[in-house]
Amino acid sequence: MRTLAYYRGCLASLSAKELATSTEALAPQLGFDLIELESVTCCGAGDIHEAEPDYYLHLNARILAYAEATGSDTLMTICNVCTLNLRQANWELKNDEELLARVNTNLESVGVPSYSGGIDVKHLLWLIAEGDGYDRLKEVAHKGLKGLRVAPFYGCQILRPSKLLGFEDPDRPWTLEAIIEACGGEAVDYPAKIKCCGFPIIQAREEVALGELLQPIQQATEAGADAIVTPCPLCHLSLDAWQSKLEASTGRRFKMPILHLSQLIGVAAGLEESELNFKRHVVSVKPVVERLAV
Amino acid sequence: MTEAAVHTEYATMDVALKIWRYDSSTGERSLETYEVEAPEWVTLLDVLDIVKDRVDGTLAYRKSCRMMICGSCGMRMDGAAVLACRTRMAPLVERGHVPVISAMGNLPIIKDLVVDMGPFWGKIRAVTPWLDTGYAPLPDREHMVEQEDVTPIHKEALCIMCGCCVSECNSMEADPDFLGPAALAKGFRFVGDPRDHADVDRLNNLNDEHGIWDCTRCYFCNERCPKGVDPRDAIAKLGAESVKQGIDHDMGAKHAKWFVKSAETTGWLRETELVPKTQGIVASIKQMKFAMNLARHGKVPLPFPPHVADRVDESRALRKITQLQDRQGALGHVQGERALARIEHTDPGGARRDAPEVTLGETPPPAEG
Amino acid sequence: MVEAKHDVLVVGAGCAGMRAAIEAFDAGADVAIISKIHPVRSHSGAAEGGINAALGNASDDSPEKHAFDTVKGSDYLGDQDAIEILCNEAPGDVYQLERWGAVFSRTDEGTIAQRPFGAAGAPRTAYAADITGHVLIQVLYEQIMKRDIRVYEEYFAWKLVVDDDRCQGVIAWNILHGGVAAIGAKTTIVCTGGAGRLYVGTTNAYACTGDGMALALRAGVALEDMEMMQFHPTTLSPTGVLITEGTRGEGAYLLNSEGDRFLKRYAPNAMELASRDVISRAEQTEIDEGRGVDGNVLLDLRHLGAEKILERLHGTRELAMVFAGVDPIDQPIPVRPGAHYHMGGVDTDVWGRTSLEALYAAGECACVSVHGANRLGGNALMETITFGKRAGAHAAEWALTHTTVTVPESAQADAEREVKTLLDRTEGERPWAIRDSLAQTMHENFGVFRREDEMQRQGEIIAALQDRYAHVVVDDKGDVFNNDLTQALELGFLLELAECMVMAGLARKESRGAHARPYDYPERDDEEYLKHTIVRRTDSGLMLDWKPVDITKWQPMERTY
Repeated sequence: MRTLAYYRGCLASLSAKELATSTEALAPQLGFDLIELESVTCCGAGDIHEAEPDYYLHLNARILAYAEATGSDTLMTICNVCTLNLRQANWELKNDEELLARVNTNLESVGVPSYSGGIDVKHLLWLIAEGDGYDRLKEVAHKGLKGLRVAPFYGCQILRPSKLLGFEDPDRPWTLEAIIEACGGEAVDYPAKIKCCGFPIIQAREEVALGELLQPIQQATEAGADAIVTPCPLCHLSLDAWQSKLEASTGRRFKMPILHLSQLIGVAAGLEESELNFKRHVVSVKPVVERLAV
Repeated sequence: MTEAAVHTEYATMDVALKIWRYDSSTGERSLETYEVEAPEWVTLLDVLDIVKDRVDGTLAYRKSCRMMICGSCGMRMDGAAVLACRTRMAPLVERGHVPVISAMGNLPIIKDLVVDMGPFWGKIRAVTPWLDTGYAPLPDREHMVEQEDVTPIHKEALCIMCGCCVSECNSMEADPDFLGPAALAKGFRFVGDPRDHADVDRLNNLNDEHGIWDCTRCYFCNERCPKGVDPRDAIAKLGAESVKQGIDHDMGAKHAKWFVKSAETTGWLRETELVPKTQGIVASIKQMKFAMNLARHGKVPLPFPPHVADRVDESRALRKITQLQDRQGALGHVQGERALARIEHTDPGGARRDAPEVTLGETPPPAEG
Repeated sequence: MVEAKHDVLVVGAGCAGMRAAIEAFDAGADVAIISKIHPVRSHSGAAEGGINAALGNASDDSPEKHAFDTVKGSDYLGDQDAIEILCNEAPGDVYQLERWGAVFSRTDEGTIAQRPFGAAGAPRTAYAADITGHVLIQVLYEQIMKRDIRVYEEYFAWKLVVDDDRCQGVIAWNILHGGVAAIGAKTTIVCTGGAGRLYVGTTNAYACTGDGMALALRAGVALEDMEMMQFHPTTLSPTGVLITEGTRGEGAYLLNSEGDRFLKRYAPNAMELASRDVISRAEQTEIDEGRGVDGNVLLDLRHLGAEKILERLHGTRELAMVFAGVDPIDQPIPVRPGAHYHMGGVDTDVWGRTSLEALYAAGECACVSVHGANRLGGNALMETITFGKRAGAHAAEWALTHTTVTVPESAQADAEREVKTLLDRTEGERPWAIRDSLAQTMHENFGVFRREDEMQRQGEIIAALQDRYAHVVVDDKGDVFNNDLTQALELGFLLELAECMVMAGLARKESRGAHARPYDYPERDDEEYLKHTIVRRTDSGLMLDWKPVDITKWQPMERTY
């Protein structure tokens, strides 16, 4: 078993609870012993990162410090935005002694342990993909996806900026496709899989965001996908919860089921509905479930 | 002049390209394949030159310096904007890859790989791109400026106006009127310049529709920029300055401020209140039907009882401290740039040749004086 | 039909062109700029190391010291009245750029930082990291946008309109939409840069084809010191991409294949900061005598340390990595001399006036002469600003006191006929072979070292190439973005300029500055040749003449570094 510090993030704790339940049910099967970080906050998303960057740095330094305090050398994330935020803060702290010293002084003054740079932040997606992860996955996904056609949606912040993420080629990623195949599904390709779902501006600039959101939904549909899988709960909210809003501009009801990464693997691994929590999705996942039950 | 000095033999290779040809008068598009022989050190630009010289003189593209400073040769290779002069072909040839070359995105195409930069320059002009010293008296000599006060804009000052950032901007694709990464980076170049005294006007201008808060944070611009300007970061600096200076009437600013509020009160994002806090009560009421549908699936967590993080007082205290430590606004972003500059800039298009083998006779003496 | 008539028309939108336009605009003239590329694409933007002015921020300095260094650097061919003007006005002109917003690097006191540069007695090269030219282009274009000065963007200036013994404007080809355009102007200022594209290894952009010089030549205007082409010591091979002198200003070494700092044998005092012609000759000698590495010498930055390189020479590092495949933090950069800057050009006085009334020239395409037989690093950018400003001021004043512009109908009609003939031609040769042959042979026969027989041969080669050029074929017959046509026209310019250069080179039977004749005339001959070459095109062909050097304070002395 591999021990990993685990940062759930905001959405998995609240509106995307299904992400937490499926991840935590799946983890032991993947050989992950998750130590959930108790005393942490929101990573700040792109919002605190933009508006109050010094506060963003400290919030993330605190998360990293508490992760380090668990004794693990790896912090697992399950959200693209958390991943970028934590990795950027981590890089800045590990590569600027003066900055690290100042931040640590501040952390210590409020009772947080100081951070010495011993953590590597990795998304669940990478933890599965690295090493012999695929071979393990094939064993875990014993029920299989039975040729289900799945369109991968990476979104932005698991790929770009690549100098901070760097797990794979940002223009030709392969991890989701490999996972889909390893689970017995068929990966569907389409250009918008690496583009933005629009979530960061879906409240402040809804029309623009919907113009972006339409692309992966429409392209995946036209490519014949049965479902879309995404490693980010923010993208999931856009793709799933806001999908109905696309009807107004297109006159089409797409009804495209959107799966979290952990749910895709989870359903192939035989997790229960109480763990998968498909009922929490706005766009019904029933067609997928029925397909796989056969 | 000896023969050896003048004629160095280079190995050659066979290079193949596919280019999207376009004639704006007829609207005809066609994908043409070209195969030429070229020296192994060539860039994409060199190959285009060979094609234009020896195969088809009608191929249209812009070029000038061929050393990544003039910004003329922006174009897409396999859908991603690059400077042709900086894209080495040898690695592609080695992999057996035939790239597809097309014009940059988000701008009208005039011919083949030549785009109409008019809309690009129009947006640059829209950010009032010249120094505005306001009412401050001009010095007789130079303004006295500390080097550390120039540092906040040293990345934005690198911009060569090539358009690569604009080419894949996801927000601009959905909204062609979005000012875009290049114009906004230029905007910060002035907001962050200590000699410019028009901050408030500039920020007010950029906090409008199609400005700062239209950026979707896709980071394509950072990824594509060939000079390391990181326009997305410049936009973030503008956002930070806007919030710092209280220019926060835009919904995007309100959205961001609610995250801050959440982190210092409950620690976790107060999701449900986010909508009214961003869009206001009236708009939220209009979204009621939509919200009810979401609520049925548990997507609208009740704000009560609040989901409070353990030891949230630490988060509160950290906010108080950071408010007092002079890293407010854009400086909070600038402080991380020193570390970020250390990231090795690797680029698949810029592969390296082998350096010459030299055994040095002796270690050079230390510099004198 | 004339497209428009302006008070002042500036041809070329680099530092000189934009500075001239701004000055003319501020003087109240109706100004327009014509440029075959967008202004910010101009090659001034590729200048790296800095701009010289006796600001005194890094050490004690004075315009007089700056002037002496320039006079000596010019190997005493520079006109001292012009040099004194440059050095006196330089500080004020640099401050103006800063007040407009130029992003200079700073000293600890907050003043404009200055670094040591080649052949300078004091560190006076004001800089912005290693992208000074880029910074100046940006600030000048910002000021152009602020004044909303009209730019004929992507118009190719092809001919000068001459009527009544006066320049009346320009005939241009509209690159974006096609067609010949006639633009009238009371005064015309050519600021079109140099002609590095004459050589196969050059730091210059593709756009640097000597357009303004050729335009002037064809209008019968005098060109001065055409043989003086500076070879920059640190360019990459085979492309010629520039590695800034700023590397040496920060302390880099030049080594041969034996790891030896060979300059101790050629310039033992100044070493890597000697004058460019001295260093280029030293490098070429080392390479010729077998102590080069694949036709290069090595520029070693390693001892400067990663921090300094990343902070001050970041652009240089990128260029080395992309175009030479080496990271200067870990490895030396292979470099060799490359054609870089043309000291010669259109003969002007200290106000930019040429031998044709109402025609001015400024910047690299002009020869005032402030650089004589060799230019100091950092002086080119300064010249563009100071003399661009002066030309703009004088041209505006002249234009505002004159009323007429006459562009004869025939000017446009003749040009249209000429274009048609060229475009209609289907049998003949594509330009590239002529162009490549010119560049290769100029490199071989008219490079760092010159000899009588090679220069003679080059003259014959050029004549043969001109014959071939008469049958050149343009593939693209269309209107929209036809740079196949403009590139063919540029080749015509280059061939004519090459002819002038060889003629002047043969006439100067001495070694002075960049004109090095170690085999036949190894010494400088002040008795016979303390004078400028003047070349003009007349009805009987190219004519060569001489013009004395203006000496105010400094008599020629032995020039050692």
